[in-house]
Amino acid sequence: MQDLIWTLVAFVLTLMVFSYLFGDNFLFRIASYIFVGVSAGYVAVVVFYQVLLPRLILPLMQGGFVERALVIIPLVMAALLLTKISPHFAGLGKFPMAYLVGVGAAVAIGGAVFGTLLGQISGAASPFNLTKADASAGRMLEGALVLVGTVGTLAYFQFTASSRAAQPARRSPVVEGLSLAGQVFIGITLGAVFAGVYSAALTALLDRLQFLLTVIAQFISG
Amino acid sequence: MRAPVWTAVAISIGLIVLLGYFIPPELAQFGFILTIRSILVGWAVILAGVAALVGVLNLFLVHVARMTAKRNPDRYSILLVVFFILSLGFGLYLTPADPNYQKVVTAIQVPVEASLMGILAVTLTFASFRLFQRRKGLMAVVFAISAVFFLLVGSGLLAPLQEVPGIGGILGFFQRLPVAGGRGILLGIALGSLTAGLRVLLGADRPYSG
Repeated sequence: MQDLIWTLVAFVLTLMVFSYLFGDNFLFRIASYIFVGVSAGYVAVVVFYQVLLPRLILPLMQGGFVERALVIIPLVMAALLLTKISPHFAGLGKFPMAYLVGVGAAVAIGGAVFGTLLGQISGAASPFNLTKADASAGRMLEGALVLVGTVGTLAYFQFTASSRAAQPARRSPVVEGLSLAGQVFIGITLGAVFAGVYSAALTALLDRLQFLLTVIAQFISG
Repeated sequence: MRAPVWTAVAISIGLIVLLGYFIPPELAQFGFILTIRSILVGWAVILAGVAALVGVLNLFLVHVARMTAKRNPDRYSILLVVFFILSLGFGLYLTPADPNYQKVVTAIQVPVEASLMGILAVTLTFASFRLFQRRKGLMAVVFAISAVFFLLVGSGLLAPLQEVPGIGGILGFFQRLPVAGGRGILLGIALGSLTAGLRVLLGADRPYSG
């Protein structure tokens, strides 16, 4: 019986969301408000059980002296951060915000350098590594083309240009050429991404339609 | 200088955490820096959790204010508030691992998210037709050819050709082409993150001082 009720809930919510195909309407709004409310509650519950309980509350209640001492500072900062809810006391939340921004900036730099920059640069250079067993002229040529595409993509997003009095700002011909090549490669990449997203969206649409038809068939067959 | 104390806090904490990235775990004499970094990041995780709660609480309070407004109260906000309280209450009582509470995910979140994704398929179809009506440039042509090609590849229609000698290699080459643009975009994002992070650590940006 309980499963039947939940299936009906899912069925009705799916229909309400699909009603958006006929334009923005109250059914879609009801579904989206319910979704946001439930999701916000779920996020709060997950944060409580996955972060606050094991990292803050349990060490404070059951931990030893060192553990308790170590959670005092985040406890105070958490209390100060909660003041952000009130406009009158929001100023007290500047200390934990500064702390979060400092850690966030360092983690962003570390992630960008060690997670992306080094990995991608090494990936771009790897076809030119002649010591590799699979090194070949074809691989190097493909690597060179990919390298031109990568540099071109970066050049496409470069907006620095030299300007002279009474003349419009212009980029150098080399940057312009690379930018044009970059435009082609960005088009190819975005096309591939679009195809991936479209396939996923189509799969989701078919899954929902199949769900609706299955529920209808079950009701008809009793 | 605005907010010098908070700027000093952000810079010093940031530098300690950043320093940890450059110290290999084998260097025992600098192990204390890694320990301090681990503690600092652990505190940041707690604060990030509390920040998420502040965001959720703010959403709740905004909708409570909207539904109790004397002029034009938002009736839809009542739904949000009621379902938020129900979801939060049952979640705290049952825990997120409880199979009954998991129904919240399978019967409410998944259907709505999947249906929104389904609507996206329809929207993307219309948007791609509009693209050709309004923008006819190099990017649009390359984008369209690439999208059609990768849709065909993804559908498996070109699978028999991939086994033909010569053609298979060419198809493979075209399939690897998006790596170039993707790599350029990733490098751009990383360089942007690096610049933004360095601006905070150098005190040029102080988003916490406002």
